[in-house]
Amino acid sequence: MLKCVSRALNLAGRLANKPLSASARAVRAPPARPFTRSIWMMCGGDRPALLGSRAALPSVSCGCGGLHTEGDKAFGEFLKDEIKEEKKIQKNQALPKMSGGWELELNGTEAKLTQSLSGDKVTVTFNINNSIPPNLEETEQQGQKPGENEPEIVSTPNFVVEVTKKSGKHSLVFDCNFPEDEVGHGEGEEESDIFAIREVSFQPVGEEDWKETSYTLNTDSLDWALYDHLMDFLADRGVDNTFADELSELSTALEHQEYIKFLEELDSFVKCN
Amino acid sequence: MGVVLRNLQTVVPVRRARLRRDVETLRHILGIQKFDLGLICVDNRRIQRINNIYRKKDSPTDVLSFPFYEDLRPGKLPCALHRDELNLGDVFLGVEYLMHQCSDTSQDLHGALTVVTAHGICHLLGYRHETEEEWKEMLQKESYILTEFNRLTGSRLVPLTKRCTEEKANLK
Repeated sequence: MLKCVSRALNLAGRLANKPLSASARAVRAPPARPFTRSIWMMCGGDRPALLGSRAALPSVSCGCGGLHTEGDKAFGEFLKDEIKEEKKIQKNQALPKMSGGWELELNGTEAKLTQSLSGDKVTVTFNINNSIPPNLEETEQQGQKPGENEPEIVSTPNFVVEVTKKSGKHSLVFDCNFPEDEVGHGEGEEESDIFAIREVSFQPVGEEDWKETSYTLNTDSLDWALYDHLMDFLADRGVDNTFADELSELSTALEHQEYIKFLEELDSFVKCN
Repeated sequence: MGVVLRNLQTVVPVRRARLRRDVETLRHILGIQKFDLGLICVDNRRIQRINNIYRKKDSPTDVLSFPFYEDLRPGKLPCALHRDELNLGDVFLGVEYLMHQCSDTSQDLHGALTVVTAHGICHLLGYRHETEEEWKEMLQKESYILTEFNRLTGSRLVPLTKRCTEEKANLK
């Protein structure tokens, strides 16, 4: 019954978020519509050569002066279906609420959560761009029906927590992330904390850019006891595992909302509406 | 590396610094500071799953130990040759289970966490409680550890093995 995970846990805790891979977004595409069909649709019924010259492309005029091809038309139809599918799986139009007194402010893909606790102002910011980790497992098995056991897309953005004391000149800034596990995708025991602190520094209040000259504490080689105190410090200010879970839910909903918005804009752009 | 602490659940607010301090005291009492140890806080759902996989018991519990050394003689520390072998294993703490137990008995959660951690570490060190003789040996060890812990910290903690027997609960 040997089950020793401490070394693995330590390793996993050190992993930084990896950049978004193309496979992550590909998961979003409805499995019923494989890639080959998209290519086929663009080709049209009479199968013109894919490498044909521009002059050979059939065009449709709409009076805007821009180029419109049969491919654009197929693209528009594809987007229409995609938007319909995405809206169907969208759990809720409204964004999920965060527990506690957090106020949400949105600026494009960036979200800011703020609350005041007995004089301490706590601000959490994150960006939904590149917040979906690559899927490490096989997405679809041979012979699997479309939509069966499809992995759910979850957004786990890096986030920054700023704690500012009343009349303080500096904020204590925590750079946090959702660690990805190198192991533990099987039985689920070998995992990292739900969220982790990567760096800590002091930054002047109210300044847009961080000062590179400020000392930055990296948690990679930190005394564990100090790390635990920092985690408790955040928990006392409402940033704990529950918060991290809710932030991920919020970010997932926001990301999906922005994705649909992007598809709609893309559809509109392609159609030249 | 020392104690690797992980909190994988959202149900119970765990004070990490307090838990680490108490576990460090236990390590000091047992003289096992040079050994690594994993301490993982989990909810009912997860500990039930682990309990089912490894003990075929489909119910949540308070603590599960996974020793790095499986055939240790109780009380005898392993003779590790390499740095990688300076490892005792992992203790999974069912913090949600414990929280319910504590609210039923008006106990302090972190006190209870120390008690079950001491119990879990005893298992990592080869102690068992499957026979009457083993049980006595383990109770003796736990009593020693917690008496020392109480002396050093001013707490009033009671061994888990004793309570297990009193309540005729499942053996862990």
